[in-house]
Amino acid sequence: MKTLLALLLTAASLPATTYYVTVTGLGGEPDYEQHFSMWAKDIDKALKPAPDSKVETLVNATREQVRAALDAIAKQAQPQDALVLMLIGHGSFDGFEYKMNLSGPDLSAAELATLLDRIPATRQLLVDMTSSSGGAIEALRKSNRVIITATKNGSEKNATVFARYWVEALSDPAADSDKNDVVSALEAFRFADKRTVAFYEQQNRLATEHAVLEDTGKGEGVRVPSPENGEGLLAAQFPLLRIGATAAAAKDPAKLQLIARKEALEQQIDKLKYDKAAIPPDEYKKQLGALLLQLAQTQEAIDK
Amino acid sequence: MRMLFTILCAAAALSAQSIDQAESMWKQHRYVESNDAFRALVAAHPRNAAYRVRWGRLFLERFNAPEAAKLFNEALEIDPKQADALLGLALVAAENYDAQAVEFAHKALQANPRLLEAQELLARLALEDSDPAKAAEEAHKALAMSANSTQARAILATIDWLNDKSVTPWDPHDGAAYETAGRILVLNRRYEEGIQLFRQAIAAQPDLWSAHSQLGINLMRLGREEEARAELELCYQNEYRDKPTVNTLTLMDSYKNFVTYKTDRTVLRLHKKEAELLHPYFEAEMLRALATYDKKYGYKLDRPVQVEVYPDHEDFAVRTMGMPGLGALGVTFGYVVAMDSPSGRPPGAFHWASTMWHELSHVYVLNMTNFRVPRWFTEGLAVHEETAASPEWGDRLDPHVIMALKDKKLLPVAELDRGFVRPTYPAQVVVSYFEAGRICDFIDTEWGWPKLLAMIHDFAGGASTPEAIQKELGIPPEEFDKRFMAALTAQTKKTVDGFDAWSKELKKVAAASKVHDNEAVIRDGSAIRDSYPDYVEAGNVYQFLADAYQAKGDKPAAVDELERYAKVGGRSPDTLKQLATLLEEAGNRKEAAEVLDRLNYIQPIDEDLHRRLGDLWLSLGNTAGAIREYQAVLAKAPTDPAASHFNLAKAYRTANRTVAAKDELLLSLEAAPGFRPAQKMLLELSK
Repeated sequence: MKTLLALLLTAASLPATTYYVTVTGLGGEPDYEQHFSMWAKDIDKALKPAPDSKVETLVNATREQVRAALDAIAKQAQPQDALVLMLIGHGSFDGFEYKMNLSGPDLSAAELATLLDRIPATRQLLVDMTSSSGGAIEALRKSNRVIITATKNGSEKNATVFARYWVEALSDPAADSDKNDVVSALEAFRFADKRTVAFYEQQNRLATEHAVLEDTGKGEGVRVPSPENGEGLLAAQFPLLRIGATAAAAKDPAKLQLIARKEALEQQIDKLKYDKAAIPPDEYKKQLGALLLQLAQTQEAIDK
Repeated sequence: MRMLFTILCAAAALSAQSIDQAESMWKQHRYVESNDAFRALVAAHPRNAAYRVRWGRLFLERFNAPEAAKLFNEALEIDPKQADALLGLALVAAENYDAQAVEFAHKALQANPRLLEAQELLARLALEDSDPAKAAEEAHKALAMSANSTQARAILATIDWLNDKSVTPWDPHDGAAYETAGRILVLNRRYEEGIQLFRQAIAAQPDLWSAHSQLGINLMRLGREEEARAELELCYQNEYRDKPTVNTLTLMDSYKNFVTYKTDRTVLRLHKKEAELLHPYFEAEMLRALATYDKKYGYKLDRPVQVEVYPDHEDFAVRTMGMPGLGALGVTFGYVVAMDSPSGRPPGAFHWASTMWHELSHVYVLNMTNFRVPRWFTEGLAVHEETAASPEWGDRLDPHVIMALKDKKLLPVAELDRGFVRPTYPAQVVVSYFEAGRICDFIDTEWGWPKLLAMIHDFAGGASTPEAIQKELGIPPEEFDKRFMAALTAQTKKTVDGFDAWSKELKKVAAASKVHDNEAVIRDGSAIRDSYPDYVEAGNVYQFLADAYQAKGDKPAAVDELERYAKVGGRSPDTLKQLATLLEEAGNRKEAAEVLDRLNYIQPIDEDLHRRLGDLWLSLGNTAGAIREYQAVLAKAPTDPAASHFNLAKAYRTANRTVAAKDELLLSLEAAPGFRPAQKMLLELSK
């Protein structure tokens, strides 16, 4: 039951309200302005239908507008809510301080941290897709906050394309890699990163950005979050976007037994996968096939 | 006064001693010390041009041509008629197959008519330019200067060997001279004979490391890697570490990262990071090309052809190092073809299948003629084969060629080899490929394929270009040039004459497109489109027109423009995908699939392409095609493994391959146990 509760709180259910804020900064050139604006609008479009959400998009924002938007959320949000802040544009890092380039005065990582700290929503996701964004991690990392940056540090100064693929992660069902109808922050990160890497490979260009994720509140940000480096656990449990009908069955008491059975099977499958290397391939396949068939039958019964 | 005299004497003695020391250390292979001695000499005698020239020659010998050229130029600033400095520049230019080599050698001889090395160089350059008569004339001049000139004898002997006279009165019996001959045989693609001469060079002079290096490189080119490595490592151990030697060893080390696939007729070597994905496409295309050429050339190759595909262009470049011409996309060494991978080039910049057909044509022509074929002919035929395989393949009429046509820079057919080996302007190699290709097209159209085939046999028999043309086409080469140019002019006149106006107008269309003035784009773009229809590179008019039509909501017109683009040979993956999307939206799934399938021959490393094409093929009932495409998606760690395995399972199921379908379903569900569509199919298949 304890695990069932955890399951319901993680993948299957979203927090009470999710506040989504997308900010685009100064483009500097018409092409960048156009792209930043287009990506922000696409994010807006993908998020607007999400239930229990409040979506705000600030195109070519000023620092005052960002402050005002985050202050307003700080007044409304409850601890059980979640905040997703997405920054698109150019950033800079002088070796000490990261700043996002905005119309008028820029926004520093330290000031952004202060603004975010005022928001009571316990779980926060910051996706900084600007150049040099890796330079912001140190100032922004905090317990219960997932930080994704387009660059691994402040010295990756070239314009980034990560945002383009983050947008795709919000609209392409392929981003939901475990097919549970919820795109988690970790899934979206992996999807966008993979596409970004492929972009540079296909263009036969040296990659000038390497996205990283930090969600322990004390790390540097890693390229490949995993149990080994301790990163990614919070991001895996951070539901970014619901893309299908989920959790309806969980509300039906008559099906709780089936759901418990399903959960048990899923745990057995996870354990079997974990032990894969120690099991002869034919035996593994046989056991996996049997468990997956039982899981499919259980799911079929739940769906009836 | 006496004291000053003493100092001057001492300085002169030091100078004499130092130049001797520098030369002596050089001779003893103590290159660093020799270099230091030269540096000191030049510092002490900044106005001594001769010291700079000798120092430059040391650099040239030790693989640093740019530094050598710098010193030769410095010497010429001191003394503009320094013959040895001019010779040095000629040697530097010759290393790069630069046309200035001849000019510098002549200048060197003007400055010093007794400079034997310059005369020997002129003989070698003439033979490299496939002009044996001139080469013989220059070689005899060298022999008149010195009857013991082994390099001059090497040139005369090479002429005999090129003409298949195995016994020659000019046999130089000298290591360096055999090496010169070997290099020229290799230049004529006669690798086996070149290798034999390098062996003779080594036998005559075992410490001739440059010959060891050439032997190793050419053995590697022919796929004899064990012996190649031994020779190259020997060079390396003996401090002969020029770029070709070191880079070839590095390349051979990297072979551990390659996977080899074999059939009865093919050996395919692919980098493991893309092997699984490329294998089905490359192998199928190799077999298709070989089957086509077997019939077309009436010739059966006696062993499998090896194709090596390099994702890193620098690795491929090692294969062509020291070879003249572009060698930009592919190169053939007998039965071995090396080529770029599509992943080694920007998307759309490279049609790998076209390149493969081009190179495989060389395999036939070179082997049918036992490598006795003029460069222009084998290149021309290979270019001809690209568009024969598919009219959309091959290279288009590009602006360089248009300018060459305008400036009447095309070469007579009898001299066309020169355009490949020693270009006199930057684009001449490209122009020569075009010209050679169009010559073969012209012969095919006017006289028919059997005449081209007959010319191959003539060349195999030792005929020259003028002889083959006269014999098979019944006209002298001069008459052929006239007819060819008349036909080519008729084909290209509209584009050539209108090129300047087209360029101006295209800029206007681009500007209008930038500000979304769709009416202007459509009006002005349509007006210029057909004056240069071959232009399909970035900023082409088809794309501007399609975007303008699409912005106006006129999708059928956008499709028309993009279809023109595709038909004329446009290769941009984004543009072709745009066309496929529009066709699919219009319900033309078959046409959409065909457009996407074209991209498999241009840029197959594209997950989205294979997924889309797999879906289309499956919906059209082409299960074999769908299976291939879905397998391609899975070959390179897809973004969505669960869906990718599931798609393949669907295709297998449609093909009634239930066991394979179940396997894929398990893989899909292993990645995402709760994936409903896969669960549903698993239940259905388990009933």
